Amino acid sequence: MRFMMLMIPKGYEKAAPGAMPEAKAVATMMKYNESLQKAGVLLALDGLHPPSMGVRVSFSGGKPKVTDGPFTEAKEVLGGYWMIQVKSKEEAIEWAKRCPGSDNEVVEVRQVMEFSDFPADVQEEAGKFPEMQAQFGQRRGS
Amino acid sequence: MRFMVLVKADKSSEAGALPDEKILTEMGKFNEELAKAGVMLAAEGLHASSKGARVKFDGKKRTVTDGPFAETKELIAGFWLWQVKSKEEAIEWLKRAPFDQTEVEIRQVFEWEDFGPALTPEIRATEDRIRADVKMAAKPR
Repeated sequence: MRFMMLMIPKGYEKAAPGAMPEAKAVATMMKYNESLQKAGVLLALDGLHPPSMGVRVSFSGGKPKVTDGPFTEAKEVLGGYWMIQVKSKEEAIEWAKRCPGSDNEVVEVRQVMEFSDFPADVQEEAGKFPEMQAQFGQRRGS
Repeated sequence: MRFMVLVKADKSSEAGALPDEKILTEMGKFNEELAKAGVMLAAEGLHASSKGARVKFDGKKRTVTDGPFAETKELIAGFWLWQVKSKEEAIEWLKRAPFDQTEVEIRQVFEWEDFGPALTPEIRATEDRIRADVKMAAKPR
């Protein structure tokens, strides 16, 4: 089973454009990343620039409207994520608990949908998707 | 530049409803366009938050709360990872997405160059090792 561990740092919704994590925090997190990697559970990981550098596109009746960050009404925003391959939700939660998180941070654990989770007719409709994913895999691996 | 495109959850995705055939067909076409243009790096959907959990940190203490997380308006239902030349290009792609009624967030992904000299050679070496290994592991199952 694949799980996303979504890092939600409270206060990041107000971070200025160009804000960077401190080198010390990065070093601590890197040790954790390495433990995930050594256990063979880590599939992907990334950090995100502050929302003040991002945009939101809302669709109403199919019509897109672009709003620049920061998103002042947002009480929580994503700071980064890990994608892990584990045997159960419990194992995913155990990994999340080992994260060197600060008091202002929350890690949300969410199961990733697999192709096999969809009913047969939906799988048929989305038939090309595994092929496409295989292509991304190759691109990432190259 | 890489961008993460975050699709928000709504009542239907949180109820565990799967997308219908029409949406799947349209989204399939859009995904194919992204793939053909070399923009698409990853695309994933997430199960409803009722199947998830949150971990809060307080010093060494950890508090686990089971989903659903009805109180937040910021829940995510899925995401893409795109490789484009600019934020504007990411916005242009997103405007073409076959969404009817939703909000989607575009966020730039940190690259190692972004950290500049703050990133010590030791950290960088560890990170390169992790990423090389992760690329191997990221092959689809």
